[in-house]
Amino acid sequence: MSDLHSLISRREAITRFGGGLGAVALSSAFQSQANTHYPPRAKRVIQLFMNGGPFGPDFFDPKPQLIKYAGQRPDGADLRTERPTGGLLASPYAFHQHGQSGLPISELLPKLAQHADDLCVLRACHTDNPNHGPALLLMNNGTMTERVPSMGSWLSYGLGNENENLPSYVVLCPGRPVRFSILWTSAFLPAEHQGMYINHSKLSPKDMIPWLQNERLSTPDQRRHLDLIQELNQTHLDTRGGADLALNGRIQAMETAFRMQSAATDAFDVTREPEKVREMYGSSHFSNGCLLARRLVERGVRFVQVYYGNGQPWDTHSGHDAKTRTLAADIDRPIAALLSDLKQRGLLDDTLIVWGGEFGRTPVSENGNGRDHNPHGFSMWLAGGGARGGTAYGATDDFGFKAAVDKMHIHDIHATLLHLLGIDHERLTHRYAGRDFRLTDVHGHVPKAILA
Amino acid sequence: MQAAALSRCTRFVSSRFFSRLLLCAIGSHLASAALFAAEPAQPPTPWSFAPLTQPPLPTVKNITWPRNRIDWFILAKMEAAGLSPAPEADARTLRRRLAFDLTGLPPDDSTASPESQIDQLLASPHYGERWARHWLDLARYVDEVPSWLDSTRYSYLYRDWVVQAFNDDLPYDQFVLRQLATDYLPGSKPADLPALGFLGLSPTYFKELQLPPDIIKTTVADEWEEHVDAVGRTFLGLTIACARCHDHKSDPITAADYYAIAGVFASVKLDERPIVSDDIWAPVAKSRAAVETLQKKIADLKKAKPADLTSQTAALQAKITEIEKTTPHYHMPMANAVTEAALYVVANEKGVGTKLDYQMGTARDLEMQHRGNPNDTGEIIPRRFLSAFPSSDGQPRRFTTGSGRLDLAKALVEEAAPLTARVIVNRVWKWHFGRGLVDTPSEFGNLGEAPTHPELLEDLTNRFIGNGWSIKWLHREILQSATWRQSSLAPASEQADPENTLFSRSNRRRLEWEAWRDALLTAAGRLDLSTGGPAQAISSPTNLRRSLYGASNRQDMDPMLRIHDVPDPGAHSPWRTETLTPLQGLFALNAPFIQQQADQLSQRLLSLPTPQLSDRIQTAYTTVFQRPPTPREIAAATRFLDGRQQDLIAWNQYAHALLASNEMLFID
Repeated sequence: MSDLHSLISRREAITRFGGGLGAVALSSAFQSQANTHYPPRAKRVIQLFMNGGPFGPDFFDPKPQLIKYAGQRPDGADLRTERPTGGLLASPYAFHQHGQSGLPISELLPKLAQHADDLCVLRACHTDNPNHGPALLLMNNGTMTERVPSMGSWLSYGLGNENENLPSYVVLCPGRPVRFSILWTSAFLPAEHQGMYINHSKLSPKDMIPWLQNERLSTPDQRRHLDLIQELNQTHLDTRGGADLALNGRIQAMETAFRMQSAATDAFDVTREPEKVREMYGSSHFSNGCLLARRLVERGVRFVQVYYGNGQPWDTHSGHDAKTRTLAADIDRPIAALLSDLKQRGLLDDTLIVWGGEFGRTPVSENGNGRDHNPHGFSMWLAGGGARGGTAYGATDDFGFKAAVDKMHIHDIHATLLHLLGIDHERLTHRYAGRDFRLTDVHGHVPKAILA
Repeated sequence: MQAAALSRCTRFVSSRFFSRLLLCAIGSHLASAALFAAEPAQPPTPWSFAPLTQPPLPTVKNITWPRNRIDWFILAKMEAAGLSPAPEADARTLRRRLAFDLTGLPPDDSTASPESQIDQLLASPHYGERWARHWLDLARYVDEVPSWLDSTRYSYLYRDWVVQAFNDDLPYDQFVLRQLATDYLPGSKPADLPALGFLGLSPTYFKELQLPPDIIKTTVADEWEEHVDAVGRTFLGLTIACARCHDHKSDPITAADYYAIAGVFASVKLDERPIVSDDIWAPVAKSRAAVETLQKKIADLKKAKPADLTSQTAALQAKITEIEKTTPHYHMPMANAVTEAALYVVANEKGVGTKLDYQMGTARDLEMQHRGNPNDTGEIIPRRFLSAFPSSDGQPRRFTTGSGRLDLAKALVEEAAPLTARVIVNRVWKWHFGRGLVDTPSEFGNLGEAPTHPELLEDLTNRFIGNGWSIKWLHREILQSATWRQSSLAPASEQADPENTLFSRSNRRRLEWEAWRDALLTAAGRLDLSTGGPAQAISSPTNLRRSLYGASNRQDMDPMLRIHDVPDPGAHSPWRTETLTPLQGLFALNAPFIQQQADQLSQRLLSLPTPQLSDRIQTAYTTVFQRPPTPREIAAATRFLDGRQQDLIAWNQYAHALLASNEMLFID
């Protein structure tokens, strides 16, 4: 059966990689050491997705002017967004400088602040659309068109799988993010590259992954059973030309499913962690998501997205400050724990952490004490994996509304991520319907200042 | 406590914005920029708005290939691209393709010609079940919703109505009229009311009436928007709801158009309506009102907690039981339909919360809302049809009858007939071929894809209308074409046209969840083919009915459905997305559902009165795949069962392997 597997891998690889990375990946798609365009700084990515959109000046982008002009709309300041908004709403949190670098982080994230020297804050991110759906698509799929592959699928496609027994791309959410499965689609890339969505609101692997165990067969018996299935499938495939991607894809999905039974039972079981480690992360859904992410990247999963919560919890159109305090308290400990844990295991050097939402929020108020969507300027941060720690890169305007200096568009963020993974974003392409597609479309710029 | 409040709030917020972001996916980046533009340019009229034309039949070189008009158009493009059609698929492949296409079930062992089979299958009651499911995806059909939303407990009556409409070949224009306004049509009977389920089962959102009216107005406006969206995308293939906040930036649909249509939905109330005549209904209504009064008394007592609470409650409960028992038809089902009633969202009497003030039997026109904000309104827009589709007097049709549902429906099939017809013809085409002539079946505006074969779409649409909007006519036309009969094995075509935009081969297709599950149950000899009636949990081990009758749920989708690409019933779904995941693999390997079907099949194989292994394998292949096994397949089975020929467990595994294999899931 392993012959069949490698045969298909090779055949698929040939059709998959036209040029650039292609020749490279041909020999290595399923080996742990993928050759890349450049020496990679990161081998895997964890994206902590604050779905709904957090407000940068609450955390990483101090804006004293917000307090000074609270309640006002200063003359000449264009602060309009899609919905009616009022005057500037103060962000009342105290900032302190942290670490050797003196990176300013607000009092909302005291534990994360201890990792200031690992954080590369991107203060001037911007995106194209003020609505969640399109902004989620841009952040995840690189365009707002619904039919292109997600970033995770591109990574899986470009780098291959480090662990054949687990999917290369896993999406964790205690519930469902808005827009749902389109955010991890493989679109026209082979289906094995789509994200595997796991609702981790219940913690037993059996609850996260339905039908994970066969109640009847021992593993050797089941292997024999699957061999028969695959023999039938191979016969079926052979009489149909042998190259059909959907048929091949299902053959591979069955193999992955088989291996997942034992691999996933182990990988997805956070109760196998020592009590001390679990305590370090905390017990919330997001804590468990971060801990699961570590267990997964440790086992070679290329890309893990941890959505903060069901729906869009960071979408604070009203009661912004009260909700933000709760949300911040809920993410501070697990993220700090994740960074410490990865560092301790020597994984932070080649694991890139990405933090952010699909956009930011307005400095002006909505519904009195809320904040509207803001695609014009928002904060994200990178850590580990070749990102330059202790850095604040870029600046927004006086009110934290629009990106002003050293702006980073989503395409630039994608280009940077790929760069850190050793991939030239202009050369990871897939020919489809007569043209070469890539994650960054025709854009993307990698600012050297944020590379370690 | 805090966490609970947070999550409730989250739900509220997400329902507020969910629908809008669904709609303006592509257009809104333009929209937000243009909000402040003084004089937006008029978007061009999409090709799909034009009156129907009749293109001439193109010339082709290979005049022996075409079987009907479809083929001339298809072949002309193929030849222009230097391609030839794939050979015709073999008879067995065609039978299998045909049976799944029309009924969602595997073929029986008939060897009738494909032509006579088309008629046979179109006459089968299971044809309607298959095609209703396609429609129900568009209609965001649902069986169960959370308790805090409008009940959908009689949803199955609408589903069964759709099944029947397909089986009866109800002309499509009638099909449209009835779903929006059957109660206004001549000769309308109460029993027809389930047709209104398209509106009556619409998604609704949680309305916390303790909140002030300006917030509830937004929720209500979001519901109207959803209804406009569903009607616009389902019938017209247009994203009208994009115009809630601004004139549509890509299509000639104005914000005024939006509010002119939304007024219809501001003038209806989701309501359960009786499906029997008044003389049967009147006593039931009276009894139900009496029961309601008694139940309120019980509730009040429970609050007041008098000393003799138990005995008082028991007495009242006894009265309820008596009424329910003695009133004929007390428990009869109702239609999840709509009633004419204008909704005004106002402050409640205490002035601290909100009241939904339904003015029964009246209709209202809506004010324009600035940027979709119901608390920032402008001039009143009389209800009328889209301005891009004027009636003969040059003005869009005014909606004057009740809420305007009937006028709206008539405009869809009269003024907008060319578009409405093109949209359904294209959908039916896509459901047959896996790819549309326009591959964005619910986006016929400028943001959609252009038709690959515009002349063919015109020709088919013209003839579809000429044939009385008959869907069955359209099936026959498509299924009799040489285009549809092509093989899926065509290396040259795959090389030259990987997307198959030229239809130079058949697309190999994966069965939808419903058809796959039904086929598994059929192979096990267990499929219960009874039709109609209430839904049942799909994962219930006793549910052996067709998958159509498995309950859908807007809040909590069964994982069996979720992992198999069954769409979210909370929004119009134009097309099934296809994912391929290890989770599906785990289901195929380990789900008790598959094991149970394998058990049945293996018991049957082992109990055959034959000593020959090859006979059993022969029967297995005939039962599961309607074909004999190849020598290679017999050899594989023999190896697997070697020394275990009488071992039921080995046969279980063998049967399971057949059921889990690719051949079970893919149609050539």
